Amino acid sequence: MKMRVLLPLLFAAAGALLPGLVGSTLLMTLLTQAVINAMLATGVGFMVRQNGMVSFGHAGFFGLAAYIVALCTTNHVVTAEFAVLLAVALPMLLAFLLGLAILRIAGVAFSMLTLAVAQSFYELMLRWRELANGDDGMAAELPPRLFGAGIAVFQTPESMFLVCWAALMVVLAGLWLLSRSHFGTLTIAIRENEERARFIGYETLLPRALVYALSAGIAALAGVMFALYNAFVTPDVLYWSLSGEALVMAVIGGTKAIWGPALGAVIFFLFKDVAGDLTEHWPAIIGGTLIVVTVLLPRGASGSLLALVERLGVRR
Amino acid sequence: MLIQILNGFVYGGLLYILAVGLVLIFGLRRVVNFAHGGLFMLGAYIGYTIASIAGFWVGLVASVTVLAVLGVVMDRVVFRPLQDEDPIVTMLVTFGILLVLEDLVRTIWGKDFLTLKPPAGLDGIIMLSGSSFPVYRLAVIALAVLVAGGLSLWLRSSRVGLHVRAASVDPVTTAMQGVDTERLGATVVAIGAALAGLSGTIAAPLLALSPSMGSFILIDSFVVVVTGGLTSFTGAFVAALLIGQLHNLGVVFVPAAASVIPLVLMVLVLLWRPDGLAKKRS
Repeated sequence: MKMRVLLPLLFAAAGALLPGLVGSTLLMTLLTQAVINAMLATGVGFMVRQNGMVSFGHAGFFGLAAYIVALCTTNHVVTAEFAVLLAVALPMLLAFLLGLAILRIAGVAFSMLTLAVAQSFYELMLRWRELANGDDGMAAELPPRLFGAGIAVFQTPESMFLVCWAALMVVLAGLWLLSRSHFGTLTIAIRENEERARFIGYETLLPRALVYALSAGIAALAGVMFALYNAFVTPDVLYWSLSGEALVMAVIGGTKAIWGPALGAVIFFLFKDVAGDLTEHWPAIIGGTLIVVTVLLPRGASGSLLALVERLGVRR
Repeated sequence: MLIQILNGFVYGGLLYILAVGLVLIFGLRRVVNFAHGGLFMLGAYIGYTIASIAGFWVGLVASVTVLAVLGVVMDRVVFRPLQDEDPIVTMLVTFGILLVLEDLVRTIWGKDFLTLKPPAGLDGIIMLSGSSFPVYRLAVIALAVLVAGGLSLWLRSSRVGLHVRAASVDPVTTAMQGVDTERLGATVVAIGAALAGLSGTIAAPLLALSPSMGSFILIDSFVVVVTGGLTSFTGAFVAALLIGQLHNLGVVFVPAAASVIPLVLMVLVLLWRPDGLAKKRS
């Protein structure tokens, strides 16, 4: 039992040491981006784990948050701190309301609906040139200080890595606690059999919409970090292939463990970079590897890792 | 106005031929085939290359044949071994196939846009109520109607068609009744892929060929399939025509919002009837 608390803490601390150990800024940049992707994948995976539903549109929440940060800070509508809060809160609210309507639709149709909603954000940002400069993207004019820290903190790979890493660890810990709470077990029960959960007297739509909102909020947080780090957004952050990639990361990592999708994201992201360096045919390599990995390890990296640990434990 | 409506039917017909292949595959294999966009694109490129050498019709036949064979291979290698896995896994594998196909096409044919001329005999224009309209576009509409008619005849009156319909309702029971659903699966995926090749080739003179043309039209055909009710052939037909019209009118009157209109339609239809146009909720 103690190991279950100690091990993650050790892991979190080890991650925080990375900027000191890794000398190369290039690698640090890559790791920071990987952690931002890990946050997005965590949101997608949480939805699968807790709701049993596959969202093909989380890039919508990710990109929306990035655009809110960019638009609010550039047009000085509100203070940058408030913009950041807004960028997480609005997608959450949107997902909650949307969830109340579309979560009643099961299976593939739900996935396609989420895809459709995200695509319509993409089209909006692409076509509405006056708002966000369309295809060319827009730069975010961030203020010199944010939350009391200099803006450079969010744009230097070493320090931004720490910010993102800390945020990811807090989110993972929060989700772990949540999954052990009454709400967590209730949503699992609903995932397993919604009819029975309703039969024993639970309202089922509301908890599912809350899970959807929460998972959208995590994706939005990733979007905020993306906007702060890059200070530049293009409609690509809303495009469906990003939603697909996030799902790929979650499945590669395995959604049974809360930390699975994050692991999958780091694996996927680093692999994509290595493949990108080696050959310009990286999409084919990614696609091919995706086919092989999903076929060989349908439970994902985390599932295989846990199975391995279990087997070693039995032998001992 | 008549011209606009006809153009809507052209796009709708194209979408129908593509979407009905998805419906066939979903019915039997319960998989949303992301690779379908890739098959469409590959079909267009194969059609383009053979057509430039041996004429349009040979290109069309070649494209359909190659894609049908590819369909059988996909069923054997992907859909059948994975049918007991979580549908997400298979969906992601088809997503991977899409990426591979796009890269393959980019490598062989390059990134530049290519265009194919309509076949001789269909490359003229015709006067319709005072405006000119390409004959080829009328032929596309006719072909879509032909496909719809042929498919529904096959499904309704042949023995294999009966098996396909039964298996798409309940594959397990159908197999228990002695139908070889494995062989049926290969047939159906082959037909679905061949239809993707067909729509790709006939789209080649209408759209510019590029490696990303597949993922572009894929979203619209997903919208058609889901709006139509996933397993319904009639639903897909109605939805394709509706979305073809809306898309086209959108392009003419509200270009900024054109590609959002089909999505809005899908959301509205699903909120009204969660199982799509074709089915009433039980």
